[in-house]
Amino acid sequence: MKVCVCGVGLSLMLAGAAVSAACAAQEIAGTYWAMSYSPKIQVLGGGEPPLNAAGKVAYEANQKGLKDGSVVDKARHVCLPDGVPRVLETPYPFEIFQVPVDHVTFVYEMNHQTRVIFMDKPLPTLDSVVGDPRYNGHSVGHWEGDTLVVESTGFAFNTFLDASGLPHGDEMTTVERIRKVGNQLEDVITIHDLEMYARDWQARFVYDERDDVRVEDYACNDTHRDLSGVKGVQGH
Amino acid sequence: MTKNPPCIRHLLAGAAMIGALGAIRVPAAAADALTTGAPPGLNLSAPGIAWAGFVQPRQPNYEIARTFNDYSNPPSGIGPVSDDPAHPFANNEVAREMRVPSTYRVADLNNAAGRNLMPWVREALMKQNALALQGRNGEPREPRCWETGVPTFHLNPGQMHVIQTPKQVVLFLTGRIRHIWLNVPHSANPKPSWYGESVGHYEGDTLVVDTIGFNDKTFVDSYRTPHTDKLHVVERFRLIDGGNTLEVAFTVEDPGAFYQPWSGTRNRHRVVNANNKPGEFDCPESNGDYYNIGLEPIPTAQKIDF
Repeated sequence: MKVCVCGVGLSLMLAGAAVSAACAAQEIAGTYWAMSYSPKIQVLGGGEPPLNAAGKVAYEANQKGLKDGSVVDKARHVCLPDGVPRVLETPYPFEIFQVPVDHVTFVYEMNHQTRVIFMDKPLPTLDSVVGDPRYNGHSVGHWEGDTLVVESTGFAFNTFLDASGLPHGDEMTTVERIRKVGNQLEDVITIHDLEMYARDWQARFVYDERDDVRVEDYACNDTHRDLSGVKGVQGH
Repeated sequence: MTKNPPCIRHLLAGAAMIGALGAIRVPAAAADALTTGAPPGLNLSAPGIAWAGFVQPRQPNYEIARTFNDYSNPPSGIGPVSDDPAHPFANNEVAREMRVPSTYRVADLNNAAGRNLMPWVREALMKQNALALQGRNGEPREPRCWETGVPTFHLNPGQMHVIQTPKQVVLFLTGRIRHIWLNVPHSANPKPSWYGESVGHYEGDTLVVDTIGFNDKTFVDSYRTPHTDKLHVVERFRLIDGGNTLEVAFTVEDPGAFYQPWSGTRNRHRVVNANNKPGEFDCPESNGDYYNIGLEPIPTAQKIDF
């Protein structure tokens, strides 16, 4: 008889019953690091994010404000959490944990952000979380084969979708499909935000597994790790 | 859409089936141990569990309220810096429960803990005491959004979440994170950091954590007692009170700041809520010195890294 143990690569023999890593494909725990960075989110399939009229106005206002200083990028200046999907673009390492068994937890080095994905729970309604918005949203997940499907809602209003100031509406929801592909982790995110965009659109992020790297402390006014290995980072 | 149930359920179901067949039972604690690496007596990271630094008593209680955001003294030996009896400290919880005005902290420099401070540390606290008595810069650094360091990390009265794996223990508290690397030696030259390099191991049901490699930018308490990069902290985490209290007993040594090592404890209380999860670091959202009372600035990036 085979039974599986998520999160560990154990193979045990118990009273003649094989306890093996039968669900090894679902193991995504580990440390990861993107090898490239883009301040502007790259739309899957190419092209520009499909901003609608309100989205274009908001984006232009954000870009103008970021340039003249009337809009502050708090995620960089005082190190508030980035929000989704901007956090997925981080050029710093992050770590995934699959314990406790009802959580998947993402721990990001940059701005010491945490995302907790509650497993096998329904996505909270927007009404139930609107009074408790989170920068990185409220998230639930489930497995579809080898893919962790993460749905998120209840985002804080004052984040950008990328470093260029791409906007989002209060009712944005996202769906991420996260899976291991060899020694890499892939996260394909779908943005659903008809307040700012004409249609749903996607972006794809890929990270190298880096078990040789430890996630470090991070403080806003500090010198941080060397990012010269991350293509696209300014100054490198 | 096909939802696969968490695989751990398969393990438990399998264990139950094996048990039904008269073979080996795998109790739930063992199933947890397979994933956490924690000894059965120190499973801090079960689903829905968090560890609160303060639980409000049903009736006003000064002795409990005092522990809101302070260390407790060790059973013997030199303890942490404490308040000057001439200026007793009333934290916000003491003020609320006892209906007295809250105060800023003024350190006692004449008791055993005060006499244990090297002259430069003593001088720093004298300056801070003077500011506090003027009603200025009285807040500890944590609400100013600075990283707290060790052992100050433990002082926050909020809920601490823990993740335990065979390789690592991760502590989450008010959006701040500490990593403890298990069963490995210290690096030869750890990069100085806010929480240092923590290595740990289990001794029975106690987690022993040894931390070095600190920067010198934090304080070791809420009195703003400074330290050097020679700071060395040993913490012992264990469950007491039938598993309902997590005791963290720690010893601090720093040959550049304290004549002798000193010790303290900080207890946390088990709280259960299925929706428990680590909070986000939202401290910098709104932290100006609105009343012009000499609060230090919150950490702000002088330049963007990328």
